[in-house]
Amino acid sequence: MADPLLNVEDLRTYFSTEEGVVKAVDGVSFQVQAGERRGVVGESGCGKSVTAMSIMRLIEPPAGEIVTGKIEFDGRDLLQLPESEMQDVRGGEIAMIFQDPMTALNPVYTIGDQLMETILLHQDVSKSQAREIAINTLSDVQIPKAANVMEDYPHQFSGGMRQRVMIAMGLSCDPKLLIADEPTTALDVTTQAQIMNLMLELAEQRNTAVLLITHDLGVVAGFCDNIQVMYAGSIVERGTGDEIFHNPQHPYTWGLLGSMTRLDESQQERLNSVRGAPPSLINPPKGCRFGPRCDFATDICREALPILHQSQEGQKVACHRSDELDLKAMTVGVG
Amino acid sequence: MFAYIIRRLVYGIVTLFALSLVVFVLIQFSGGSPLDRLRLNPRMQPVIAQLTEQWGLDRPWYEQYFVWLKNFITPIDVAPQEGLTIVMFGKLGIWSWVAVAAFLGAAAYTVGAFFATAKANWWRTFRAFSIIGVWVAAFWIIKSRIVFALNWGTSFRGDGPVWDNIFGAAGNTFRLGLTALAIALIIGIPLGIYQAIRQYSFFDQMGTMLSFITFSTPIFIIGVMLQLILAFYLERWTGVKIFYVVGMTGSGYEELGRGLFGLPSLAQLGDVIQHLTLPALSIAAISMAGYSRFQRASMLEVMHSDYLRTAKAKGLPRRSIIVKHALRNALIPIVTLVSLDIAFMIGGAIITESIFGWPGVGRLYIGAISAIDYPTIMAVVMAIGAGVVLMNIIADILYGVLDPRVRYD
Repeated sequence: MADPLLNVEDLRTYFSTEEGVVKAVDGVSFQVQAGERRGVVGESGCGKSVTAMSIMRLIEPPAGEIVTGKIEFDGRDLLQLPESEMQDVRGGEIAMIFQDPMTALNPVYTIGDQLMETILLHQDVSKSQAREIAINTLSDVQIPKAANVMEDYPHQFSGGMRQRVMIAMGLSCDPKLLIADEPTTALDVTTQAQIMNLMLELAEQRNTAVLLITHDLGVVAGFCDNIQVMYAGSIVERGTGDEIFHNPQHPYTWGLLGSMTRLDESQQERLNSVRGAPPSLINPPKGCRFGPRCDFATDICREALPILHQSQEGQKVACHRSDELDLKAMTVGVG
Repeated sequence: MFAYIIRRLVYGIVTLFALSLVVFVLIQFSGGSPLDRLRLNPRMQPVIAQLTEQWGLDRPWYEQYFVWLKNFITPIDVAPQEGLTIVMFGKLGIWSWVAVAAFLGAAAYTVGAFFATAKANWWRTFRAFSIIGVWVAAFWIIKSRIVFALNWGTSFRGDGPVWDNIFGAAGNTFRLGLTALAIALIIGIPLGIYQAIRQYSFFDQMGTMLSFITFSTPIFIIGVMLQLILAFYLERWTGVKIFYVVGMTGSGYEELGRGLFGLPSLAQLGDVIQHLTLPALSIAAISMAGYSRFQRASMLEVMHSDYLRTAKAKGLPRRSIIVKHALRNALIPIVTLVSLDIAFMIGGAIITESIFGWPGVGRLYIGAISAIDYPTIMAVVMAIGAGVVLMNIIADILYGVLDPRVRYD
C-alpha cells in the first residue's frame, strides 16, 4: 500500500482542569489514504472532535495540550511544524467543517469576504480571480445565483445554505483532506441528506479524502469506506462499513447498532440504549473502559486494558472476549 | 432607515416632554423658594414682591409650567451687533463657519449614506467617521453660539440669560469630557483587548486588579490624589510647575498671544493642557477601568466563538484573526456603554468640576439646585435628557454600521 495521506500514531491530547487531567484522546492511531472516506463514530465526549482539532492543531494551550504522538500528513509531522507553516496547512491542505453552521460564520462579514479571504490566503491569485473562484465554488455547492449571494451576510442564509457555504469554503483551496466535524448534526433530516450527498459528490470529484466525525451511524453508513468507533478517548473497533454494520465485534459497537432505528427490520418494539454513562476521563476505570457498561464483562475485563488487535472476522477490535462472543447471533438487550 | 430615525425622534420628544413635567413638579413640591435668601433682609420686601410678580411665582404651578414650556421652545433674536463680516472673521473666527459647512455637509452625507447600497469596507468606515464628524461640527457650533437661541429665561441668581450660561458652560464641559473620553477610549479599549488575548497572564491579572481598585475608588479621592501627587509633590521635587489644580487657563492666558486665524497659539495650548490634564485624568481613570473590563469580557466571548475557530481553521495568522474577525464583533457591546457616557457627559462632572474649579455644566447645575434656580435646573435637565435620547438613536445607528444583522428598515 502506498504511504498514507494521514498517519496518526499514539495521539494523546490532555486537558488540565481543576478536577484533574482529562485524557480526552488517549492513544489513538489510525491512517487515512488519499481519497478515502473515513468515518469516526462515538457518543458525545468520546474524543472524536478533539482528535480532529488535534490534527488541525487547534487545541489551545494552556488548557489543552497534545502530550505525545505523531501526526504525519503528506510526509511531514504536523506536530513538529512551526506555526507559520501550520497556517499554510490549515485551510490549504486540510480543511475543516464544523458542527453548527449558524455560528461558524462571522456575522459581520459577507459570504464573499469570508470565502475570498481563504482563497487569497492560500492561492497566489488576484482579487478578481479569487472572486471568480469563490463564485465557482459556491455554484459547485449548488447555491443558486452564486454571484449575487457574494454580498450577502450569513444571517440572510438558512442553516443548510450556511453549511453549503462552509463546504465551499473548505473545498475552495482543493485540500487533500477534509475534516467534517458533525457537519449535519444541526440540520434537519432532509437537509442532512442533501448536504451529505453534496459532500460525497464533491469529495469524489476532487479526490479529497474525508474524515467524517459523527455520532450518527446512519450518516456514516451511506458515506464511508472505513469506520472507526471511539469510546472514552480511544478506538475500540475499526473496519470497513460492511464489517462494522453486519458483524460488530465490540460490545459497544453492537450496543450502538442496537440503538439505531432501522427501516428494514421491524421486529423490535422499542429501541435499546447502551446502559450507564461514559466513564470519567480523569480517572478512567481500571481494565476495559467499557467494562462497567458491558453486559459481557468478566474478570479479565476488570483487570487489563484491551488493545486494538486483528479479530478473526477481519476488522480490528479492542476487546478481550471478541473472539469468544458471537454478537451477531444475539439480540441486543438480552444479556 | 429615515422613517426609523423620524419615529425615534418623535418618541424622544414625547419622552423629553414627560421628563420636563416630572422634574418641574418635583422642583415645585420640594419646598423652599428661590426668594428665601432675600427674605432674610427686611429691606428687600419690595424687591421680593416685584420678583414674585415678574417670575410668576404667585401663580399655580401648572400655569408656571406652561409659561416655562412655551418660552422654552420659543426662539429669541440673537443679535450679532457687529455685523456678519465681523462675526465671520472676527469675534467668532473663520473656523466656526468652516464647522457649519462641515456639519451641514456631513449631516447630509450621513443621511444619504444610509440609503446607498455600496458595501465596500472603506465606505462603511467612512460612514462611521462621518457620524463622528457631525458631532465634532456640532460641538463647534454649540461653542460659537451662532445659530439661534431659545427663550430659556433668566437665571434666578442674577447670572443673566440661561441659554448663554448653559452653552458657555457646555463648551467647557465638552472640553473636559471629550478629553477624558478620548483618554479612556485610547487606553481602556486596547487594554481590555490585550487582557483578553493574554487571559490569565500576569499582565491580565494586574490589569484586572488595578481596574477594580480604580473603578471602586470615589472620584473625589482620585482627583485629590492626582492634585497631591502630580501637582503638589511633583512641583516640590522638580521645582517646576507642570500641572495646575484650578481653572481652565492661567490668569495671563490672553497675554500669551493668539495664533493664526484667531486660534490659540502654542503657548496658549500648552497652558490649556497644563490645566486640563489632571481633571481629565481623574474622569478618564474611572471610565478607563470600566471600558477595559467591558472590552475584556466582550472580547473573551468573541475569542471563544465558533466563527473564530473557523477563522483559525482557515489558516489565518493570529494577528488578522484578532484584528479582522474578533475586534469588530467585540466592539459592538461597547457602543452602548460609550454612547450613554457621552450622553451623561452633557450634564457635566459635578464632583470633578467642583474639585478642579472647572466652570462647566456640573458646577452650574449644583449652584442652580442650591438656589432653586429652576430655569437653569430645567435647562440642564433637558439638555441631559436630549443627550440621552440622541445618543441612544446614534448608538442604534452605529449598531447597524457595525453589525449587519441589525439594520432598520
